[in-house]
Amino acid sequence: MPTALITGITGQDGGYLAERLLDEDWHVHGLVHASDGHVDELRRRTSSVELHEGDLADAAAMSELVNEVAPDEIYNLGGISSVAFSWEYPLLTAEVSGLGAGAVLEAAWQLKQRGGREVRVLQASSAEMFGLPAQSPQSEDTPISPVSPYGAAKAFAHHFVAVYRARGLHAVSCILYNHESPRRPPQFVTRKITRAAALIASGRQDSLELGSLDVRRDWGWAPDYVEAMVRAIRYPHPHDFIIATGESHSVADFVEVAFSHAGLRPWRNYVSLDDRLIRPVDAAELVGDSRKARTMLGWRPVVNFDDMVRRMVDSDLRAASS
Amino acid sequence: MPRALITGITGQDGLYLSELLLEKEYEVYGLIRGQNNPKRDLVERAVPGVQLLTGDLTDLSSLIRALNAAQPDEVYNLGAISFVAYSWENARLTSEVTGLGVLNMLEATRLYAGTDMSCVRFYQASSSEMFGKVQEVPQRETTLLWPRSPYGVAKVFGHYMTINYRESYGMHASSGILFNHESPRRGPEFVTRKISQAVARIKLGRQDEVALGNLDAKRDWGFAGDYVEAMWRMLQQDRADDYVVASGETHSIREFLDVAFRHIGIEDWSQHVVQDPRFFRPAEVDALIGDPRKAHERLGWKPSVSFAQLVETMVDADLADQRTMVGG
Repeated sequence: MPTALITGITGQDGGYLAERLLDEDWHVHGLVHASDGHVDELRRRTSSVELHEGDLADAAAMSELVNEVAPDEIYNLGGISSVAFSWEYPLLTAEVSGLGAGAVLEAAWQLKQRGGREVRVLQASSAEMFGLPAQSPQSEDTPISPVSPYGAAKAFAHHFVAVYRARGLHAVSCILYNHESPRRPPQFVTRKITRAAALIASGRQDSLELGSLDVRRDWGWAPDYVEAMVRAIRYPHPHDFIIATGESHSVADFVEVAFSHAGLRPWRNYVSLDDRLIRPVDAAELVGDSRKARTMLGWRPVVNFDDMVRRMVDSDLRAASS
Repeated sequence: MPRALITGITGQDGLYLSELLLEKEYEVYGLIRGQNNPKRDLVERAVPGVQLLTGDLTDLSSLIRALNAAQPDEVYNLGAISFVAYSWENARLTSEVTGLGVLNMLEATRLYAGTDMSCVRFYQASSSEMFGKVQEVPQRETTLLWPRSPYGVAKVFGHYMTINYRESYGMHASSGILFNHESPRRGPEFVTRKISQAVARIKLGRQDEVALGNLDAKRDWGFAGDYVEAMWRMLQQDRADDYVVASGETHSIREFLDVAFRHIGIEDWSQHVVQDPRFFRPAEVDALIGDPRKAHERLGWKPSVSFAQLVETMVDADLADQRTMVGG
């Protein structure tokens, strides 16, 4: 039975990916941090996943785990996931999201050297690596120029993938643009909006405070992006792929779809702006050109923007009424 | 009297920069690792005016202590694991020292500056290895970075974080993208010094041949003493920025061998050089050649030592060195 190891398995993508691989009868192992509060939730959804407690920042332990599990595919989805957090904890971010990826790649390389068989690694890179891009949309050739500790750590990991690939490891980097789902934690703006829409509609909250309505992002549906990762790691040759919808929408667009779907019109009556929620440096328009993934992997996003927002609102409405 | 703190004081650049700053009447502090660093003697002999503080780039608290002790106006972060070939075998340690070490120094400097960010200026020693698989020839400050070694990846991280601290905290933090720079103080693990040392020993009959990797590898080589001058000039500017520091010329290992052997009277060196695949890099970087126009124009900096002068100086220094070693 083929075996996969997923870091960040309790995150949004990790959960969808575990389910996707279990459906194919893969043996799935996951790395969880000792202080991870989402283990029970993951267990409810995917009871057959084998979990290992550990830390991406602990290179020796990662190497031991990779040896023990001897996976065919490693998905490195773990790390610090918030730009705002990375300004508060720049060193921790570099250790976990940057050096942690280095530890995974080195462990895979060692396993391949010893075992003489292929080990594939997929790194979840982020569009935040592009910082304030000069060109839009961005492609695999756009200059990397991060403007946050999160972006710099992700760039470090992305470059490390290229280094190990040049060395002969089957290492793939997916540059993922924002991707959302009902499983997004509520500190992310998208989930914050859909949850507020549900709570306001059910009379349990009055209004929603946001930092900026003008920020534009390329938002996709997380399960679609997980599908792209699986296709990318299984492509015969290792490459970098931009995974994006190619469309950008503003936070205001997001609020409008979410609040209308919850029956809250006009949405402006329920939303106020708070300067404190604006990030120190916020990236300009990030829109991805995913033609390479579409051509080579036959991938395309299935769920469009409006459907994604509505699915998130529906899920939050169900939660609010239960 | 201005005060400076230099990390990597035991290295080639640390020594040249110390000499430059002492000449300019700086009070110079050097960060040195470990309780019993074997290089301490070397530094104390070479630059006796430098005051040494112990600390480690991977230990933030030791850096904060060093900054508070030195109270510097200028911080030069030259410390790194600087050997590319070694970085393949020790990717983790290279990442921690050469990559995270920069972030530790930036954080320590930010904390030391407190609310008055204008009280200190920061120099980061970036490297042409960041260009790796070069995307443009010659390479400029704006050239896309595409590192090909763990060392290059770590340096890229340090470079971005330096820019982040400049843009987000208003720190006077400059990144000097230095192309290869050599001198008689270069460690013998580097190919240039390996050649100059071997050539000197061949001249004195103490060695017959030298094993090298890819003879066609080309680099943009300058003299280290010239390059530390550019570092200092960056910190004297009103605004912090990034600068490529390079000779603007590229030469192959073969050309280096030509000049070095000719200097001891050997025209055909083929019988003295063997190629050894062990010294080939897993991934060779391509045509590294810097475009130093910005440094010329804004810093008024120009190299003073030519390629041939550099090679000859290194061979002469090794000849003198070898002659003092009885029986060598």
